[in-house]
Amino acid sequence: MDVDTKPKPTAAGPTPDAEKPAAPKAEPTPPTVEIKQNLALIDRAVTTLEPRFTHRVLRTLSHLKKKLSDEVLSKAVEENYTKDSPAKAALFQYLSAPTSMDVDLPNGDAEPQHAVTSDPLPEGDAYIRLLILLHLSGTKETTEKAMALAHETVERIQALNRRTMDAVAAKIYFYLARLYEVTDRLAEIRPLLLAAHRTATLRRDADSQATLINLLLRNYLHYNLYSQADKLVSKSTFPDSAGNPQWARYQYYLGRIHAVQLSYTQAHTELLQAIRRAPAAKTAPGFWQTVHKFFIVVELLMGDIPDRALFRQPVLRKPLEPYLQIVRAVRIGDLSHFQSALQTYTTQFQHDKSYTLILRLRHNVIKTGIRSISLAYSRISLRDICTKLSLDSEEDAEYIVGKAIRDGVVEGILDHQKGVMVCGRKGDVYSTAEPGEVFGRRIGFCLELHNESVKAMRFPLNAHRKDLASSEAAREREKNIAKGIAEGEIDDDDEMDF
Amino acid sequence: MAPPQLVANWERLKAEVVNPKVDQKTIGQLLLQLKIALTEARLLIPSPNSTLEDLVITRDVLELGAFWSVRNKDIPAFDRYFSQLQTFYTDFRNQLPPSPREYPLIGLNLIRLLTQNRIGDFHTTIETLPPSILGDNPFIQHPVHLERWLMEGSYNKVWQEREAAPSEEYKFFVDSLMKTIRQEIASCEEKAYDSLPLSDAMSLLFFTKQSDLVTFAQERGWNVNPSTQIIHFARKTEEKIEIPKEKIIVNSLAYAKELEQIV
Repeated sequence: MDVDTKPKPTAAGPTPDAEKPAAPKAEPTPPTVEIKQNLALIDRAVTTLEPRFTHRVLRTLSHLKKKLSDEVLSKAVEENYTKDSPAKAALFQYLSAPTSMDVDLPNGDAEPQHAVTSDPLPEGDAYIRLLILLHLSGTKETTEKAMALAHETVERIQALNRRTMDAVAAKIYFYLARLYEVTDRLAEIRPLLLAAHRTATLRRDADSQATLINLLLRNYLHYNLYSQADKLVSKSTFPDSAGNPQWARYQYYLGRIHAVQLSYTQAHTELLQAIRRAPAAKTAPGFWQTVHKFFIVVELLMGDIPDRALFRQPVLRKPLEPYLQIVRAVRIGDLSHFQSALQTYTTQFQHDKSYTLILRLRHNVIKTGIRSISLAYSRISLRDICTKLSLDSEEDAEYIVGKAIRDGVVEGILDHQKGVMVCGRKGDVYSTAEPGEVFGRRIGFCLELHNESVKAMRFPLNAHRKDLASSEAAREREKNIAKGIAEGEIDDDDEMDF
Repeated sequence: MAPPQLVANWERLKAEVVNPKVDQKTIGQLLLQLKIALTEARLLIPSPNSTLEDLVITRDVLELGAFWSVRNKDIPAFDRYFSQLQTFYTDFRNQLPPSPREYPLIGLNLIRLLTQNRIGDFHTTIETLPPSILGDNPFIQHPVHLERWLMEGSYNKVWQEREAAPSEEYKFFVDSLMKTIRQEIASCEEKAYDSLPLSDAMSLLFFTKQSDLVTFAQERGWNVNPSTQIIHFARKTEEKIEIPKEKIIVNSLAYAKELEQIV
């Protein structure tokens, strides 16, 4: 189950040599040049202490990933580090032996290579390591190397404790955990993640903190350790300033934990938040599909039928097919249909880890069945109820209906001697306080949205000074003109100068 | 390496447990001695460098202790033993040979959660079990079915299931469950029936003697009419729905405040 918001490369290997910076065709920016530009941006980020530039660099990560290869990377390392730098040597051991270092610049690439005077900043170094890590984690054979590199990088990052490195550090933790997940050794990395999380919280490293919490939750949920995940959530605070993708993941994990613990309303809100904060369906189809699967199940468990239009979305149509069957069964209240759908799609549900949740839906099917019966009949014998709901015996039916009446699912009276249920009518809902509450919830949400957007607005820092300066100048000019007129230097006649 | 005294005690414990004429007290004392010995040998909280044998011994002792506490109806002790066993089941799962008593114990814990109405914990525990076990193992099936029937409301099935409990210890928990069930059925009947003849009430509530039923009815405040042998349930009148004044005021003030803040 892949909830990575970035689309994973389908072909795991490095891109073929045809797409080298050598190609004189219209390649938007050759990868080495792009890497250089990114490093420059990172430098700017460090000097101006603005995380925006680092985020911009990280945004290019997804499409840069596809262009990476050993040659590109060795060239980048070669260009950006000084000669004989120890860091460079350390990096080269992770790349396969590069084809001769002083390779002729391929024709078409007329850029002169400036000699670099110093090693890039630690942030830049971390960024290059991240690129190498990405490249190595692409293929199966190099995963061991990738893990070694990741561990080394993590140690360096933790030793350095620089806030400007947060965004890159967070990414590196993410890929480290992903490597372990791919090799199925997640349990080993748990102590490391926990320690890193403690450090990140102490150092107020919001990005790393958020990523690490999500990684830990994913780790626990992978092994079905819901109670431990719950404890982690209750004991740690998720930093508010984390980015949207991290928030989306966090809400999704929370939703799953609460769904298992039977707090369906809470789970529903959280999954809804996750859907809203997630990137658009086209960029991250995997996440979209997974969250929607759980969303549908939780909605069914709450007693509402999810919207049919949800299943028609092109991204969701095929993966949600089994869930559509379940929804149909619950909607009609037909227990046999429910059982058959469950049988057919058991493996799929187990793979999605929603199997146990769906098992709980049996009760909902019966509830809906009883409700629809009570709406349709004014009086019905228990034996008929028994056949309609495919229950086991009349006694069963009697007890179940009695419980349903007590829970307020239906309004009615049982008559034991005649063995019938007499259905009453449900009162209309507007006379209760319910519409008011629902309305209130929606208003609350809109107001919160408004406040959050206001807080998130960013004005460029010095723009207002420019305004100020120009208004100052304007006022100066006006004063001069007024002075001029007052002193009689500028006359009305003089204005007609052309 | 566990001291030989420990191993000897362990062997004795195993022998006593199987002994039909056993005295519960002796087992209790043995367990106490063993626990002290285990703590001294630093085996109670397992560490990675304890040998496999020692881990098996500790696990056995804890399991037997858990069973004993259920037989003696000592629930807090059962709780303690069971939580100590958790590390053995989860973290050392790959190293230790599977224990035949693991699933009965998990099943017992599940039933205990049911009786205490801790449904959230019940489901969380079920999530940790692999699906194959859920389907086949009779020890786990029993509480899972019980929970399902309780949720649906088919109490007669629960009643029948008492006899089918897979092991002795289950019966103890199921009996305490019965009390809760009776209360549940009673409240269902209050809502669902206007009146009920005594004989029918007896069968519905699984009472055998009429006197039991009458005492029960009086506890619940039902109106028993001895001449016609009918129970009448007090029909609650429709409560007047009040306007929730305070909530509306609070909400409106909040809206006004937020709106004013919009520049």
